[in-house]
Amino acid sequence: MAMMPDGNVLETKDLGYSFAPGRFAVRHLSLSLRRGEILGLLGRNGAGKTTTVRMLTTLLPPTEGTAVVLGQDVRTGGRALRSRIGVVLQAESLDFVTVERNLTLYAFMWGVPREEAKTRAEEMITLFELEAARHRKPWALSGGERRRFQVARELMHDMEILFLDEPTVGLDAVARRRILRYLRERARGGLSIVFTTHILHEADLLCDRIAVLHLGRLIALDTADALKQRHGGAREVAMTLESALSPDLRLDLGQELGKRGATLLDPPDGFPPPVNQLAFRAERAEELLPWLTQWAQVHGLSVERLSVEEATLEGAFLGMIGDAEENEEGKTGSEPPPADHLPPGRNGDAS
Amino acid sequence: MKLPPVFRLVVRNFSSNLDAITVLIRFGQPAITIVVLGTMFTTIVSSNVTGGTSYTAFLVPGMVAFQMITGGIVSGNLFWLDRRWAMTEQIFSGPFLRSEYLGGLVLTTLLFSLVGVGVMILVGVPFIGLPALSVAGVGMVLATVALGSVFFAGLLIALGSQLRSANAYFSIQSFLQLFVIFLSTVYYPVTARTPKLLAAIFYANPLTYAANTIRDAFANSFAGTDFEALGVLALLASAAFGAAIWGFRTLELGPIQ
Repeated sequence: MAMMPDGNVLETKDLGYSFAPGRFAVRHLSLSLRRGEILGLLGRNGAGKTTTVRMLTTLLPPTEGTAVVLGQDVRTGGRALRSRIGVVLQAESLDFVTVERNLTLYAFMWGVPREEAKTRAEEMITLFELEAARHRKPWALSGGERRRFQVARELMHDMEILFLDEPTVGLDAVARRRILRYLRERARGGLSIVFTTHILHEADLLCDRIAVLHLGRLIALDTADALKQRHGGAREVAMTLESALSPDLRLDLGQELGKRGATLLDPPDGFPPPVNQLAFRAERAEELLPWLTQWAQVHGLSVERLSVEEATLEGAFLGMIGDAEENEEGKTGSEPPPADHLPPGRNGDAS
Repeated sequence: MKLPPVFRLVVRNFSSNLDAITVLIRFGQPAITIVVLGTMFTTIVSSNVTGGTSYTAFLVPGMVAFQMITGGIVSGNLFWLDRRWAMTEQIFSGPFLRSEYLGGLVLTTLLFSLVGVGVMILVGVPFIGLPALSVAGVGMVLATVALGSVFFAGLLIALGSQLRSANAYFSIQSFLQLFVIFLSTVYYPVTARTPKLLAAIFYANPLTYAANTIRDAFANSFAGTDFEALGVLALLASAAFGAAIWGFRTLELGPIQ
């Protein structure tokens, strides 16, 4: 049994999977997961998220590097490892019996005692709003019901790590929120979760840390806030003044902002600029605010309202992917990413 | 008490994939064949052709042998549907080994075909009375059907593990089923008037060995050829099971259509 640092339930080092000589779905993936932590795996289609989940759940043997899950090497852990994890696969997996029977049958397969299985099935049916679908067979369920059912079914047995591969696809906002809240509660109880999604807002809400994969490589690993801070990109600042801004001052401000890397936003063609409002975009918008206030004071203007567009994970994600794609251009595609491609001190460390 | 994984999978196979209609069709079709085809052909087929017995008495052991195809198809289809609906992947991500899943399929096949043997005998009794089965005869029938079931199940599982299209799988399965059944002695004997080429194909068909051996067991008249037939069936079953193991080892999980 492989040793793991205290508190870590999963650790990978240079993990990779090659589906053909020289062609990698995942490469040089080093990350870790703490007990009770929720780790989000983000990336574009084909970034390697599902391949990573499949390697970590022993469904796919890695072709390079190591992965230790709950103290077991994924190559040799086999049943001992799998009996301590839960997996909700991306593909719909269903048995041809009613929803209720599916739940109890799955629990039976995992060796959950009959009475306990019944109790859990009731809990899951209520929690995942499957009451109306209880006696229906899978083909009679809507896409959202099937997905809810699939997550509910996996929660019929005990586990220490739950792998969820896009579990909220096709779910409405209410159902999604409900599931995320439940997962958050379970994580507080010590369940560790690896979660892949394309819905960046839910990753922001749920995940303690986020790993961004691009073309099979880890390009960032940090908290959502840190990623937003670092890669949030240009954001819009809107300022409303109590009095009118003369054309000369507007021109002067535009030039000053330009020197600071910001761009004054012009109104659409044919619309005159509002007399007391202006907007600009800047990479580090917050850092410009004190200067802007001072500039207004110097010119005898009072600021009525000043707002900065909130940084979103989507903005950060787009920024990271954009940077990665730029870096990819001209590369052969098989070299490991440069060390500075990862945030300093975040090369998969749990810290 | 927790059942061993293989038995949990067998329970799951029966619970999840075998609904009442499937079971009725799988057992009902050969049962109706005994009743209708047996009755009608008994009136027109001379007992000289069927070795001195009525056509129904000739047909019942044939339908018993037919159960090895039924059992094989049940687990072949079950495996295919598990692949199609990603349950294979889901099961493999749980506390099961691939060998246990394969073992579960084989046990499901055996249970299904052996129950089928009982049903066919029960359906036949009102028409032909109790067969003159000795204890050795019962053993011979069960061994023949069990080995034959493993052969067909192994074949279909190996096939299902390599194909990625439902159309291809079910077309091949239907063709194989038709070919194996109609080119065997399940429905008719090979006589001196059978064209030589057809007779050669009949005797290359494992279902022919099985049907003939079961007929001998029903008549309590074993010959050395019956034991040879059993030996050949055992070899074929081992080869097909080996192919199924190979199929599992090379099985690519992931979406299929």
